[in-house]
Amino acid sequence: MKDAVRRLAFSTSVDQLKKRGVKNVNVVGLDRIVQLIEEAVHRSLKNRLLVGDRMAVADATKEEFLRLLRTNEELQQHKARAEEEAESLRLELTRLRQDLAAKLAMAEASQQADYVKQDEAIRDLIGAALQEAGGGGEGLEARVLELVMHVVQSERRVSEAAQEAARDRDVSLLQRRIEKLSASLESTEKQLREVSSRKDVEAGIASVYREVQGLSDADNQFGKKKELMAGIFAANLQLQKKS
Amino acid sequence: MSDSNEPEKVEGAPQKSHGVLYIGMDLGTSRTSVSASNGVRETVYSVVGYPKDVVSQKLLKKDVLFGKEALEKRLSLRMYKPLEKGVLKYSDGDDQDRSEVEKAARDLIREAIRLAQPRKDELVYAVIGAPAQASITNREAIIEAARATVDSVMLCSEPFAVAYGLDMLEDALVIDIGAGTTDLCRMHGTMPEESDQLTLTYAGDAVDRKLTELIQASCPGAGFTPQMVKDIKERHSFVGATASPVVVTLPVDGKPTQFDITAQVQEACSILVDPIVDGLRKLIATFDPEFQHRLRNRVLLAGGGSMIKGLDTAIEEAMNRDLGGGKVIRVEEPIYGGANGALKIAHDMPEEYWEQLK
Repeated sequence: MKDAVRRLAFSTSVDQLKKRGVKNVNVVGLDRIVQLIEEAVHRSLKNRLLVGDRMAVADATKEEFLRLLRTNEELQQHKARAEEEAESLRLELTRLRQDLAAKLAMAEASQQADYVKQDEAIRDLIGAALQEAGGGGEGLEARVLELVMHVVQSERRVSEAAQEAARDRDVSLLQRRIEKLSASLESTEKQLREVSSRKDVEAGIASVYREVQGLSDADNQFGKKKELMAGIFAANLQLQKKS
Repeated sequence: MSDSNEPEKVEGAPQKSHGVLYIGMDLGTSRTSVSASNGVRETVYSVVGYPKDVVSQKLLKKDVLFGKEALEKRLSLRMYKPLEKGVLKYSDGDDQDRSEVEKAARDLIREAIRLAQPRKDELVYAVIGAPAQASITNREAIIEAARATVDSVMLCSEPFAVAYGLDMLEDALVIDIGAGTTDLCRMHGTMPEESDQLTLTYAGDAVDRKLTELIQASCPGAGFTPQMVKDIKERHSFVGATASPVVVTLPVDGKPTQFDITAQVQEACSILVDPIVDGLRKLIATFDPEFQHRLRNRVLLAGGGSMIKGLDTAIEEAMNRDLGGGKVIRVEEPIYGGANGALKIAHDMPEEYWEQLK
């Protein structure tokens, strides 16, 4: 009980209290709080129940309180873990998607830059070769350049196809990883929903009885009450059979 | 117990794993109270309201309202007080009225059980204290209404539940003063029969009517509603001598005005005494002469009406005058006396009986 009260308490500092304008604080010890709770429960039960019942109810209530506390803590831990996992999966997924997009963009940009340099180099080589050969005029140079570039473009397409195939393998690897992470995220979120919905099952206040009771043999009016119970049952059976 | 009543175990009945919640319910004209084995005790005014139209439904954001909330929003609601004089109230031959009242009763019972906060994984066994004079049709309707929300349900007579709750099963007389009726029941160790019970219409509502008449006559121009009269009665009711005057504020032409209605409250509440003592006399006179004195000296005063200050003394004085003496014991918890008794019956009922009625 003491631990439970401690866990339900919150901490604050003297400075924080001062900031809120608190000058004096009345202090009640944990033992006193626990004692007060127990006394209140016992007093209330004393007014309504016999000694045997009272003890049973007190024990059952204590047990139920601790069980609820444990269940609640377990659920909270489970939920916290699931939330943490879901969050890290979400981050990982985002990171992978960004990596993929960046790699694709970088590859594209680098290829375009290479092509521009190659084009310039080819143009310079052809210009130099024609000048060595005595020159053929601007028309010839343009025609030769056109033919060479045509061949180069064809080669580039072949090379690009090979590169794309290699890149597709990387992309598909990354995409498979993303799919896996998405599935894992979905399952974690489902788990999270289940944990949250389990609280609905816990809704309500548990009865002090785990089993069906019935008249106690020790009751000093056992015989009479048994007869009365049978009478009430018979009347109800007749009534409910009719309806 | 007769052989035909011997219980049989029912095999394969659905089990709920967590435990069993017993509920005792006092289904009254004015209030419905529940006591449950999880420690919950709640009471709600037996009033059900449904939004009059789509606009009010949107505004209220609810399909049905109960108790005080329904009374507060009554202008936007179709109001039902399903239990009049302790029984389902509807016009004979009017099927629509009947089905609406039964729906209201069903919703009220469902709400009372919801207030007991049962867990979904527990068996719920309920005993409902029904008015002694409830007809078979009424009892069937109450059972049907409860069956929708509990695993097994039984009805018992309301005054009997009060006596059972206090272990006064022998030689006792119970006076259960409700809003619609006052039930008198003679306990002699067995199930009370029809001849052991009497129902009087002198009860809380009759006091309200009398008080209304008296206030109308003595407070000229004062404006008030039946609910205001009921509130006055619940706060100030007394018979016999009073320590402090009853002064209330009522509007006259829109101006709050004070009235001393001490005498009116006393006179209105006193109308209960003579009919009750007359009923007691009938039940005592027809009892075994050897045990009549024991009945006289174990008169149990229960129900909301027992909260009228001085009523126990006034009945004792009238018994001294008319019956040669008597002792009246007021129950400790008038609002929950019936529900507590029904809860005790539920607890004591053998498992096999519950199983058979599932």
